[in-house]
Amino acid sequence: MPVPEEQRIYAGWLDVASRAGLAILAVAFLAYAFGVVGAHVPVEELPTLWTLPLEDYLARTGAPTGWDWIGMLPNGEYLSLIGVVMLGMATLVCYVRLVLALLKNGERLQAGIAAAQVVVLFLAALGFLAGGH
Amino acid sequence: MKKISIGAVLALVFGCLSFAEPALAADGAGGVAWYWWPLGLFLVSFALGVLAVLGGIGGGVLFVPLVSGFFPFHLDFVRGAGLLLALSGSLSAAPQLLRSGLASLRLALPLALVGSITSIVGALIGFALPTDVVQTALGFTILAIALIMWMGPKDDRPRVGAQDALSSALRLHGVYDDPARGGRVEWRVHRTPAALFAFAGIGVLAGMFGLGAGWANVPVLNLLMGAPLKLSVGTSGLLLSVIDTSAAWIYLHRGAVLPMLVAPTVIGVMLGAKIGARLLRAASASAVRRAAIALLVVAGVRSALKGLGIWT
Repeated sequence: MPVPEEQRIYAGWLDVASRAGLAILAVAFLAYAFGVVGAHVPVEELPTLWTLPLEDYLARTGAPTGWDWIGMLPNGEYLSLIGVVMLGMATLVCYVRLVLALLKNGERLQAGIAAAQVVVLFLAALGFLAGGH
Repeated sequence: MKKISIGAVLALVFGCLSFAEPALAADGAGGVAWYWWPLGLFLVSFALGVLAVLGGIGGGVLFVPLVSGFFPFHLDFVRGAGLLLALSGSLSAAPQLLRSGLASLRLALPLALVGSITSIVGALIGFALPTDVVQTALGFTILAIALIMWMGPKDDRPRVGAQDALSSALRLHGVYDDPARGGRVEWRVHRTPAALFAFAGIGVLAGMFGLGAGWANVPVLNLLMGAPLKLSVGTSGLLLSVIDTSAAWIYLHRGAVLPMLVAPTVIGVMLGAKIGARLLRAASASAVRRAAIALLVVAGVRSALKGLGIWT
């Protein structure tokens, strides 16, 4: 098959990371929805809250922004966010691996673009680009 | 078989929406027990997942206008869920597309970088603007997308003359196996600077409205850059996984990712996509596509009227 090596490596890493993220999201959500774990905002109150604009929702519930949700574990809604974060991390991790593969092949221009993408994703993941808080 | 399948899917979508609409009209929550909402969301997402595969479109472009128009959830949370719907779908599909050579990582790299930066800008714009403005703009954007899909110009064998300097420098060319064409297909692209500019706009729309942007990626890759249609569709899926990731981080950090909306949506659309893939042989792609366009028109009109305060 005429598939470049770095592309096969990227596919393998992405496969594992995305499957793990989706599995964690599904399991954590079921635990949350069926009351196996507690919740910061009781699920019975959600229908009166999810109609609100984001800022009002945050003010009413005291829900965290940025990475502060980690301090709210093991509440069910934040356990579910672990799966979401893994989905967000999948591409970042794969790009880091991609940069190494491209450099190994001597493809500096492509590696530079991939490295710039890593910086963008990393800054976004850290929350530096989110604004508003 | 195909009529039953498409009819059942549409009946499921409209059944859930007709349940949601009067309940929403009552008092926002409608006095309905909380678990009916994620269950309804799951069913709609399941049906959209089937439609998305059968119609060859992204689920996000249907999800955001339909759910924001007919469910009580605020648009901020629907956009976050729509983005994660598109992201999870593209992440699931991308590995196989890459291994088969139907997606090109090399082609995606520069376009994804531009699109991901502007998707962050789009997400920030979406949070800065008043909800009714975003809702109205979403409605008209969806109607424009429906028009683009209806016209649907595609070129299975685009002709590319000389590559531009940028695509030559980035070595944006390659080969993939296509049994339908009886062998290997060599490809190369041109007009890369114009495509980068187009992806800047696509990123803004994806981030601002929480839409997957396959409807825009494919025409730019295929018609503007001259990539073969199959490669354009495959690479579009890969591009979505990068562009939507960037915007998804903004939604997550701003607190706009509600697991009670996101998880049923993601699980529903993934299961629906699996069923859709099984129905693919029996269904008429053009009939499903027309059904999807009809849904887009309904959702676009509803969204625009809701944003304008005419039909709240």
